[in-house]
This record gives sequence, structure tokens and C-alpha cells, in this order.
Amino acid sequence: MQNSFNIIFSNYTYIVISAIISLGLLLPLSIVSEYLFLEPYVVFSVYVDTAFNFSLIVIISILAGIVVSMNIFRIRLVKKVRRIGSSITGTIIGASAGACSCGPIGFSIITTFGTTGSIASSFLTNYEIPLRLISIIILVLVLWTTLKAIPRECKIN
Amino acid sequence: MLANTKKYLVAGVGIVILVAIAASFTSYLGQIEDVQKQDVSQSKQMAVGKGYPAIGLETAPITIVEFGDYQCEACKKWYDNTRPKIIENYIDTGKASLTFIDLPILGPDSKLAAAATYCADDQGRYWDYHVTLYDYQGHMNSGWASAERLHSFAFNLGLDMDEFEECFNSNKYEQRVEFNSQRARSSGVVSTPTFVIVNSSGDQQQIRGAQPYSVFEKVIESLL
Repeated sequence: MQNSFNIIFSNYTYIVISAIISLGLLLPLSIVSEYLFLEPYVVFSVYVDTAFNFSLIVIISILAGIVVSMNIFRIRLVKKVRRIGSSITGTIIGASAGACSCGPIGFSIITTFGTTGSIASSFLTNYEIPLRLISIIILVLVLWTTLKAIPRECKIN
Repeated sequence: MLANTKKYLVAGVGIVILVAIAASFTSYLGQIEDVQKQDVSQSKQMAVGKGYPAIGLETAPITIVEFGDYQCEACKKWYDNTRPKIIENYIDTGKASLTFIDLPILGPDSKLAAAATYCADDQGRYWDYHVTLYDYQGHMNSGWASAERLHSFAFNLGLDMDEFEECFNSNKYEQRVEFNSQRARSSGVVSTPTFVIVNSSGDQQQIRGAQPYSVFEKVIESLL
């Protein structure tokens, strides 16, 4: 597995892809979860009681970056599309769960869907931490299967 | 070794490019905000009407209007972390006053909680009740702000329960809460907490979200 990691990330393109994806997730998630504010000043703020939640977002973003770049490597290697879309989508939903409370996204959901939106919003907000932990588990599983598959596919090719 | 250096260099450049893109995006949003501010200043200046419960001096040069929901976690975050410093440095010193306008969007319990605060206000205990609600805030729509719990809060504050129940059960303040909600929406508020900070000349600035004290300090100082 260590070998798979070395094979992929010895090519700096995948490091860049991984960094772009991680930051591309971390920035919007930090904004919608209200850790990063753009108006009226750009301010980053994590309170002690929300530090754990924020660290989960960071872990998810880093893992997603690694998993996606590894799977891009696999796609280019075996010339086949691997289905990781659903796991990544699930992960993003889990990671952005906290945004569904009283922020603009939650407001839009509740305004549009009424009581149903309110119930969905309550669920996503109240189970924010478990949903993020599930996201991390999904990403770790995808990472593990990818790391196992790469040496096998490399030998075939 | 050289390959590794090259690798980190490229990664570094990638990160710098991303940060630059983020910075441009921020600047773009700032421009949008400026345009919105002009619109607001021309069309709908926030006039803080009388009759809203407020803490601080009536003559304070700055008025902070908070649009909030008692079930909103971000409102609680602001209540715990930023509000005490604002009270200490601006309200207690007579520089600002704080008004709360309900925007109960997170379910029926939010509306009940908002109505209950006005029933407490009938007995001169609005802010005590307001503080109690945020101190005991639980998970959204989990029953922590049910009618039964709202009665318990009133009882624990030592309110006259006959008067409170009569007020609460008659839905006396249902329309007032609805009016507040409409007022918030017409002021362009789309999330809680949202703050409108107004000075005596009518200049105002909006702050969205549970932003830290440093942001409020900057905005208030710029408006003083």
C-alpha cells in the first residue's frame, strides 16, 4: 500500500490535483459552515467548542483530495471509469451537513420545502458530527480499496 | 532529491494560484456587497422602531439589531462568544444598544419560543427569558422549546404563571412574531443570526453569521 502511494504521488501532477481538490472542498465548506466569513471583512474564526467539527471538515477535505487524485490515476492507468462519484457525493453531503441549519442554505431549504425542509434540516444539523464521521469512514474505505487495487492493476498493465 | 524539490515547488505554486483565485473571488464579492450597500442606502434604510426590547441606553449612538432564532445553533455560538464582549465594551459603556428581532425559521418551536419571550416581557422579564432560552438551547426541534418546557422556563424565572399561561395559551403574540419575521425578510435577512448596525446618522452595515467580536468592533468603530 505504501508502494501505491509512492507510485502515484511521485508524479507531482497528482499532488497538485490533490491540493486543488482539498482546498476546493475546504474553502466552500468553511464558508457554508461559517468558519470563514467573506463579508464585511475576510475573517477565519473557529471557537473552542467548534474546533472538533472544523477538524472533521479538514480531514474530509484532505482525504477527498487524496482519494480523487488516486482514482484519476487509476482511470488513466486502466482506461476505465471507476465509480467513486456516489461516495464523493455522499461525503460532500455529510461534510456540508452543518450548513443546513440557520445559514442561507438552510434558510433556502426551509423556505422552499416548508415543514419537510425543516425536518431534513433538523436531521442534518442534529446529526452533523456522526454524518461527518460516516463521510470519513467512507473515504477511508475507498482509499483502502484503491491502495489495494493499484499494485494489481499496475502488474496487469 | 531534485525531483522532490521540483514536486514541492509545483505544489506550492498550485496552492499560491488557488489562494490568488480565492482572493479575487473575495474582492468580487466585496464589489457585489458595495453595490448592495448602495441599493440599501437608497431604498430601504433600516429604521429601528420603538417597541422592540432593547438593552443599553436609548440615547446610544449605535444600535445593533439582531435577527435571530432561538433554535439556531449559530445564534447560540454568537450569544456565547461575541455578545458578552459587545455588552462589556459597547452596551455597558453607553456606546451601543442591542435589539432583538425574531426570525423564527427553524420550526414551530421557534415561533413558540419567540412568543413566550413577549409573554415574559409583559412581566418585565424579556431579557431574562431570552438569556434562559439561549442558555438552555438544545438540538433543533428536539422538544427543548416545546410549550411544556417554555412554561418550565417561566416557572424557574419566577414569573407569575397565571399571567404567563393566559398570555401564552391565548396566542397573544403570534401576530407580533409573524410581523417580526416579515420585517426581517423585508430587510433582506436570509439567515440567522444577521445583524444590522446603525448609527445616529442612519448609516448602517450588515453582518451575517456568528462572526467574531473583532468584526463587530471594526464595524462599530467605523460607524461611531
